[in-house]
Amino acid sequence: MNVTTLLAFEFPPINVLLRWQDVAPTINKVVLIGIAAVLIGTGIFLAAARKDPKVAPKGARNLAEVIIEFIEKQIIMQTMGSSGLAWTPFLLSIFIFIYLCNVPGVIPFIQMPATARMGIPAFMALMVWVVYNATGIKHQGPVGYFKSVLFPPGVPKALYILVTPIELISTFIVRPFSLAVRLFANMLAGHLLLVIFALLSEALFQARDRILIPVGVLPFAVLLFLTGFEVLVAFLQAYIFTTLTAVYINMASHAEH
Amino acid sequence: MFFSTIILAAEDMGPNPIAPENKELLWGAGSFLVFLFVMRVFLVPKVKKGMDARYGVIREGHETAQATRSSAQGDVAAYEASLAEVRSEAAARIDKARQTLDTERQAKMAQAAERIASKRAEADKAIEAARAAARGEVAAAVGSVTARATQLVLGKSPDANVVKRAVDSTMSGGRS
Repeated sequence: MNVTTLLAFEFPPINVLLRWQDVAPTINKVVLIGIAAVLIGTGIFLAAARKDPKVAPKGARNLAEVIIEFIEKQIIMQTMGSSGLAWTPFLLSIFIFIYLCNVPGVIPFIQMPATARMGIPAFMALMVWVVYNATGIKHQGPVGYFKSVLFPPGVPKALYILVTPIELISTFIVRPFSLAVRLFANMLAGHLLLVIFALLSEALFQARDRILIPVGVLPFAVLLFLTGFEVLVAFLQAYIFTTLTAVYINMASHAEH
Repeated sequence: MFFSTIILAAEDMGPNPIAPENKELLWGAGSFLVFLFVMRVFLVPKVKKGMDARYGVIREGHETAQATRSSAQGDVAAYEASLAEVRSEAAARIDKARQTLDTERQAKMAQAAERIASKRAEADKAIEAARAAARGEVAAAVGSVTARATQLVLGKSPDANVVKRAVDSTMSGGRS
């Protein structure tokens, strides 16, 4: 490959990059990652639950306890207070599932985050939408909840003309939409970046050109950096999604919000 | 190309990159709901129960250690108080014993001084008596010698009283 052919390098369309053949009816790579995430998460907690809790935790037990404490101290206590500790299993499950769906994006030979497809983020956001609205209705009653959402206390009545449509759109449409799109778009963007730099590195290394091969080191270094960055993004997106879920549930639980 | 091996070649252009695929949505939903159920009902409560039990044991251990420490500190304080009391009592006894010893020493010294003074007086008396006796003997001898010398010179014996007075006067009055 010479410079002319390199300039003619064509990046495959995004939908081609996301095209996975079904390994079984209705089961493709993304579905398999989702199932694997559940199996791994269950496996860790199953191994943790079987160990003697009285001795100092090690291995799976230690990992499970660290995750539980992280969810309780860094998410629930920060956003909901001690009254939100009952939500630990729900928020913990969300965090683990999303993280284990995100992280395969940087695992060699898998290299696809399941959340880079819209299916799982859409379902998770829809479920959170149902949960926080149901929580609001349960705690405040249907009338009280919708009243507190659409007519926030403390706002001058004249401003309700502006505030009420904004709150209506924000609470019932934008929140789930932003939850889903934030997760999906971040993971898809990261995946595409990795693909771009991997393909570019491969093209330059295979150029058989004295100049282009050393140049290939540059995109390869960026690829390595982005891979490390995606490890952080995988965690960060799971953390953000879980934290926002806790915030929305807490807001729905209390009328003063 | 390596990556091209995991991107399947197909005739169609693949799924819409934005729209959710039903199979992915449904499988994802089913997987997560099963996961949530298992975590909510079985696993998290069991792990949390173990954590709470262990934290309870640790907390209990801390409280026991704290109580033991407080008790030990109380014991140390009581010991130090009793030690101070014993030391104070010992110091008082030592002072008292010292005073008693001083009194006894002074009394014994007074007695000894009295005995010494008495013995000295007796010794002085004995010395004085011995001196008087010696003087008498010397005076008698001197008188006798004087009387004999006078007799030899004058041819007659002097009056004994005169000789005695002269000898006494000479011995007591100094040398002439």
